[in-house]
Parts: sequence; structure tokens; C-alpha cells
Amino acid sequence: MQQESPKDVTDYYKHLSLFWTDIIHLMLSKPQALTSIGPMRAFATNSKKITTELIDINEVLLEFNQYITEYYKQLSDTWSVAQKKVNLKAPDVPQDVEQIEAFKRIWIDIFDNDFTELFDSGKFGENYGKLVSKEIELTKHWNNITNVILKSANLPSKEEIDEIYKEMHSLKKRVGKLELELKKRKMKKNAK
Amino acid sequence: MQSESRVDPKIIEEILKFSKNVIEAPNLVAAPDEISLEVTPHDVVQEMDKTRLLHYKPLTDKQHKTPLLISYALINRYHILDIHPEKSWVKNLLQQGFDVYMLDWGTPTSMDKYLDFDDYVNGYLDSYVEYIKNESSVEKISLQGYCTGGTIATVYITLHPESVKNYVATAPVIDGWRDTTVISNLAKHMDVDKMVETIGNMPPEFMYYCFSVLKPFEQGIEKYIKFFKNIDNKKYVDSFLRVEKWLGDTPPIPGALFRQWIKDIYQDNLLIQNKMYVGGRHIDLKKIDMPIFTQVAVGDHLVSPECSMPLHYAVGSEDKTLRMYPTGHVGMIASSLSQKKVLPELGQWLAERS
Repeated sequence: MQQESPKDVTDYYKHLSLFWTDIIHLMLSKPQALTSIGPMRAFATNSKKITTELIDINEVLLEFNQYITEYYKQLSDTWSVAQKKVNLKAPDVPQDVEQIEAFKRIWIDIFDNDFTELFDSGKFGENYGKLVSKEIELTKHWNNITNVILKSANLPSKEEIDEIYKEMHSLKKRVGKLELELKKRKMKKNAK
Repeated sequence: MQSESRVDPKIIEEILKFSKNVIEAPNLVAAPDEISLEVTPHDVVQEMDKTRLLHYKPLTDKQHKTPLLISYALINRYHILDIHPEKSWVKNLLQQGFDVYMLDWGTPTSMDKYLDFDDYVNGYLDSYVEYIKNESSVEKISLQGYCTGGTIATVYITLHPESVKNYVATAPVIDGWRDTTVISNLAKHMDVDKMVETIGNMPPEFMYYCFSVLKPFEQGIEKYIKFFKNIDNKKYVDSFLRVEKWLGDTPPIPGALFRQWIKDIYQDNLLIQNKMYVGGRHIDLKKIDMPIFTQVAVGDHLVSPECSMPLHYAVGSEDKTLRMYPTGHVGMIASSLSQKKVLPELGQWLAERS
């Protein structure tokens, strides 16, 4: 008997969830259209998007967990190795103020060196990059859900606001360049 | 026979003293929020969007003819160059007779996410340089670029060499592939497109993360133990709190600028290879042909000397000087070493050419 991979299981549940969401949406669309008006009408129409986003979030979360587990593993492994080095270098319990100071110095130096080595390493950079990337994907899904809610309330979405920002930036740039050009011409004229 | 174990009374004394210092700390020192980082008197002479041009009031009767504009970094605020009356970079230059301007990049918001290298170089910086030239009735100014502000200044000079008489590059970010710092390691593995498309501006929290992985135990534990141990030392505490306040104030970086920064400098390393384009114009470091003074710090863990020094060899200038100092990134600009060694050397070099 062939064992199903986690990916197959996820796909199966994704399909199952989308199937029922679609069917229920279709079944309810007529009474919903008759009874709902205003913002809630738009929200009901777009609610499927929220379901899809939530399913996708689960997939991203799986990968996010994988990278965050690796992240903490790297930190804890480095900690263990550094602590062993400290134990080898300073095996005795410090007895006076001077010894405590010396022990603290050894501890900080070894821990800083080992952790800096970790943060400088390719394996850390790669995993951290992927971890942040997954975190950003989660943010993206959250943004998409928020956009559905904003749309249902007849408010501009993030993309629509971005379009305005882009247009403003382009206009400002053009005006700025024209102003600077005028200023330079004026200065040249005055110099003559 | 029973072995006798005794605790050194000095240890108890130290613990009690430390606890007393922690309890008394709020009565002895100001909260960081209550400290003003504006040290040297100045006027805000120009403003563009969220950026400002500061002009410091002179401290000498006679001044050098060529004014100096400081292009500060995009990380944290310009206050570090004027952090304390006794460690102020700006005040020292004023006392040496220089006419000093500072570019404050301000705090970008979501609506500034499309600001790019072109806006910073050919927009803000060019506009302020033109203003200073006009105000001082000179054809050229001296320009200093610090850290990431050094990259912006470098790019600016390649496009507008006719406006700059002398260039001071202080720990500039130039050769991303040679940078050996933790920051460059994180930058090289970053999916910057996804970050900018989703979040917009580079959030300050990302920079705080970068700071936290730089010597985490020295900076995260030892530094604060020292602070409480020295709570009676007014000078030490004042200086400590000022730097801490400065460290905790990092503005976001506009998304488009940040994207080009990470890609062109750290990931593809285009600037040093003369392959970078800004606003559709080619950046060629050989076009920097004016006198250049490059300053690097041996212990710099934010911009390693290997990242800054290639500028010295890549420019077209004949009159060029490279100085290495036994300190760190901040130590080079805000310490007793900077007052005793870095600034006098810079002042002498600049005075001879101003």
C-alpha cells in the first residue's frame, strides 16, 4: 500500500474545502442576493477569497514552522557549543570578585565569537532569508484578507492606494526636475 | 573532614551596590525621551518633502570659503554627528572654521515607498547642493558622505562632479561582495522584491534585528551592566543615554531605494564594477576626479574596511588619501579618538583644499 505524502494530504483537504465552499456559495447565492444589500453583499461575494487565503496561509505556515525550527536549532546548538567551550576554559566556580569578572569576560568573548560566526555563516543567512520570506508571505495573505474586508466596506484597497502613491511620486519627480531646471537656468542667466 | 566553603564578602557587597544603583537609577538620570539630541545651534534653511537642510551657526570669526555638506546615512538619524558637546563631529568642524550643512533625510512614510536612488541623488541631494552653492556664492562645495550616505554621495559625485571640490568618504558602503559583516550576509540572502512588494518600506524592526546580532552579548548584556555600575558617573551616563536614544531611532527606508540598494550593492555588487545605473544614467567611479579623503575603521562591524577601501582605488582622482583608524563605525565619528585624531587630520586636509 502506498503511503500518502503530506503534500497529497494538504492538496486533498484544500480541494475538499474549496469544493464545499464553492457549492455552498452557489447554493446560497440566490437567497443571499435577494436578502443582502450594501456592504454585506460584497463581503458575502468575496468571502470565498478569504477561505482560499486561509487555506494558503496554512501551507505557508508549514514551511514557516520548518524554517523557524531550524532557526532556533541553530541558536541552541551554538549556545551548547559555546557553553562547553566556557566550561573547558573556566572549569572552576569563581570564588571572588576578580574571578567573577574574569569568568564573565571569558563567557562574553566566547559567546560573542561563536554567535558572530553563526550569523556570518551561509547556512544561517540562507535559513534566515527563507524564514523572513515566509513571514512576508504570511503578511501578504493577511493583506489580501484585509483587502476583501476593505472592499466590502467600499474603502480603497492597498493596491488602489499604492496606485495613488505611484502617481504622486511620478508627478512630484517631474515637477521637481522642472523646478531644478528652471532654478539652474535662472542662476545662469543672473551670472551673465 | 568537612570542607568549608565561604562566599567572598566583596561579592555580596558588589551585588548590593549594583542593586542599589538599579533602584536609584531613575532618580539619578533622565529618561532617554527627556534628552534632546539637538546639540549645536542651527537653522533649518531648506525643506523638501520630509528631508531638511540644516545650517550650523559659525563658531569662528573667519571661515573657510568652501562650505561642507554632510550626507548622513539612511540608517538612524544624523544626531550621532552632533551627539554630545564634547564628542560632536559638527562642532569640531565649526571650531576649525568650516561652514557646515547637514542633510537630514527625515522619516519616510508609506507614501514614500516609490522614492528611489534617483530621487535621493538627483532630487534631494542635487537640490540642496545647488542651494548651498547659491547661498555661499561658490561654484563647488565640499561633500562628506557617511556610511550609506557615503554611497549616495559617491553616486552623486559621479553624476555631478562639476559641483564638488573635495570629497570626504567616511566608511562608505561600496563593495558589497567584500563586506565581511553580518549585515552583508543577511542582505545577500534577502528576497528584497517580495519584501518591498508586500511591506513597502524597509521597516525599522529589520534594522533593529541587524543591530541585535552584532556582538549580541557584549551589546545586549555587558553594556547595560556597565551602565548601572557607572550610574554615578554623570559624564558616562549622559553619553551612554544619548547613544542609546540615537540607536533606538531608525526611520524606515523607502522601498524602491532599499530594493536597488540591496540588489545593486550587496547582491550584484554593481557600483564597484561600474555597472550601476541611477535614473537611467551610468555610474562610473572614474568620474570622481577631485581630491578624495577616505576614512575607514579597522573594527567597523557595520561596514567593514574591505567594503569601503575599494573606493580609494577605483576613483579617477590623483589627489587621494586613505586613513585607517583603530576604532569602530561609531567610534570613528563620535568618540574622544575622533576628536583627538580623526577630525584634526580631516580638518587639516580639508583646510588645505578649501
